[in-house]
Amino acid sequence: MNRPVLNTMARAPLQVLADPAASLAELMGAVNAIEAEPSPAAAHIGVSAGATVDLLGLYLRRHALLAGVRLQVSQGNFDDPMGDLVRFADAGVDHLLLQPFLDTFEPAFEARAGLLTEAEIDAREAELRGRWRLVLRGAAAFRTVILCGLHRITAPVAGGDRLDAVLARLNQALREEAAAHANVRFLDMANLAAGVGRLQAFDLRFYLRNAAPYAPALLDAWARQTLAVTRAYGSRFHKALVLDCDNTLWGGVLGEDLASGVRLSPQSYPGSVFHRAQTEFLALQRQGVLLCLCSKNDPGEVDAMLEGHPDMVLRPADIIAKEVNWSDKVENLRRIARTLNIGLDSLVFLDDSAFECEAVRSQLPEVAVFQVPASPPDYLAVIAAIKDLFLAGAAATDGAAKTEQYRRRAQALAEQQTFATQEDYLASLGLTVTLARDDAARAARIAELSQKSNQFNLTTVRYAAPQIEALMADPEAAVWSVEVADRFGAAGLTGVVVVRFGGEVATIESLFMSCRVLGRGVEFALWPTVFADAAARGARQVRASFRPTAKNAQAADFYDRLGLPLIGETDGVRSYAIALAAFEAPPSPWIKVLA
Amino acid sequence: MIDEALLKQVIASVLGVPVETIGPDASSDTIPGWDSLKHMNLVLALEQTFGVEIPDEDAAEITSYALIKVVLQDLVVD
Repeated sequence: MNRPVLNTMARAPLQVLADPAASLAELMGAVNAIEAEPSPAAAHIGVSAGATVDLLGLYLRRHALLAGVRLQVSQGNFDDPMGDLVRFADAGVDHLLLQPFLDTFEPAFEARAGLLTEAEIDAREAELRGRWRLVLRGAAAFRTVILCGLHRITAPVAGGDRLDAVLARLNQALREEAAAHANVRFLDMANLAAGVGRLQAFDLRFYLRNAAPYAPALLDAWARQTLAVTRAYGSRFHKALVLDCDNTLWGGVLGEDLASGVRLSPQSYPGSVFHRAQTEFLALQRQGVLLCLCSKNDPGEVDAMLEGHPDMVLRPADIIAKEVNWSDKVENLRRIARTLNIGLDSLVFLDDSAFECEAVRSQLPEVAVFQVPASPPDYLAVIAAIKDLFLAGAAATDGAAKTEQYRRRAQALAEQQTFATQEDYLASLGLTVTLARDDAARAARIAELSQKSNQFNLTTVRYAAPQIEALMADPEAAVWSVEVADRFGAAGLTGVVVVRFGGEVATIESLFMSCRVLGRGVEFALWPTVFADAAARGARQVRASFRPTAKNAQAADFYDRLGLPLIGETDGVRSYAIALAAFEAPPSPWIKVLA
Repeated sequence: MIDEALLKQVIASVLGVPVETIGPDASSDTIPGWDSLKHMNLVLALEQTFGVEIPDEDAAEITSYALIKVVLQDLVVD
């Protein structure tokens, strides 16, 4: 089947670049046509690769031009990043793409991986780290440095093979080296290839003949990702997501369908899509994106949705600026930018109306505009594109929530050093512990925690969710869940106590907690509530025990520290008992217990 | 039949030369810059434009306009 290339070449070059189906020849013609117009390059990227990736330059220029950036591309020498650094710096390169490639370790490394001993893999990892550490240090002056991960080219083996394990280790090493530098981002090439599809991503003919493994589809995705990670080569920095309400946050029109009629139920389509969309927006907010509303609606009705609708994920505190009124959206967007004191080019606008989108596009071309597609399943791809805009350039490619957690912990640690005593520090955290008894909604998470907790787990009984539910329903048992929060955030359900009742004796069958919340006294603060409940059920004595495992030594003396007398020890199993009337909990005045 | 105008256009785009320079006797010997890298791009571009897959044994060999035309004629099913 012939494609009429000559005809399509009559299109405007930018139209050709924007056409996902444009062929290589068309792209070359279009890029060259645009670049024939004299205009200074706005950015300069250097590509230093361990494979032949010359054609990547075409796609880098394509996506840069589509984002309005004239990009110069310099190709480095084959597998010579240190030499390239010097040459690129001399040439005025400001962004750097570094691509280690497996076969540069030794030929056919994919096959070799299966033969490597542990010691050889250690040596590989050490060498890889050493080499790229040096390169990344030398690259400190470049604006953005993208370090690409290693990936397989051959089909994966079901269940994984040794190559997967080797790659995971080497990529982890590269990630860690990248994370040590503020200007370096890790780009997961395996993900990129998976997104394209392995068969589309690689061309084995040119891989084997010319060490040029990448097919156009992968090069195109790689270039698009590079644009995102460099935030269009430093030309944009999106900060706020401005959301319409009707058919954007929920399905339907609030003014017509009323709060009871809009589609937002997580359990039924299409409400589930909007519920999911809100969840994605909330996740963006948690990662630092400013969420705003811009909607032609009755402000009171929208506020009521935010405050009271049971299926809303977004709540008033998540929205930093609201323009809910009947005036022009262009004016409203201007007002939002003024309120937040950011440029219009920091705004991303999402609306379901083609009319509104077009009005904003034409009158505020600085604003990035996305339209909610008419068909809900297409919405997910639009959200993914929005996420890319905000997140691709962010430092944390490695689980932003985790980074957030580390950041919080680092902040907490920094504060710890300025307090006179540990108690002062703990008091400053504003700790709250919420105890819930026999709450079936929490059974799944409780079971999951019982499966995962090893270190602070006194008896290491593993429960399945139905067992937890049965215990909750059993009048002779109580299941307590412990949720911890502080002013830095909520740690969620992180502790569990299972109590069995028999006559006058209450037995602590299980006590386990996530190590994330230990060291703050939470493990001591919960007992007055648990024991008061036991007393109310007629218990007069409490028994507890510690069973040693390979991993729970840190909890061995917990009941001693709680003040329970040890009554016996056999094979490491320590048994405790105390009369309820005699129990006095160690004080933890810095914790507020909610039951 | 192969659209020769289209073929010339594609070769010229990929090699970065004016389309007039692609005559019947054009080859990697006569056109400066028709190196192994450009040739690889040319093969990919021909495949995309004509909707064919050029077998590996031909891909490296078709370094002249005449050879490209012969191979494409065989591959394109009218």
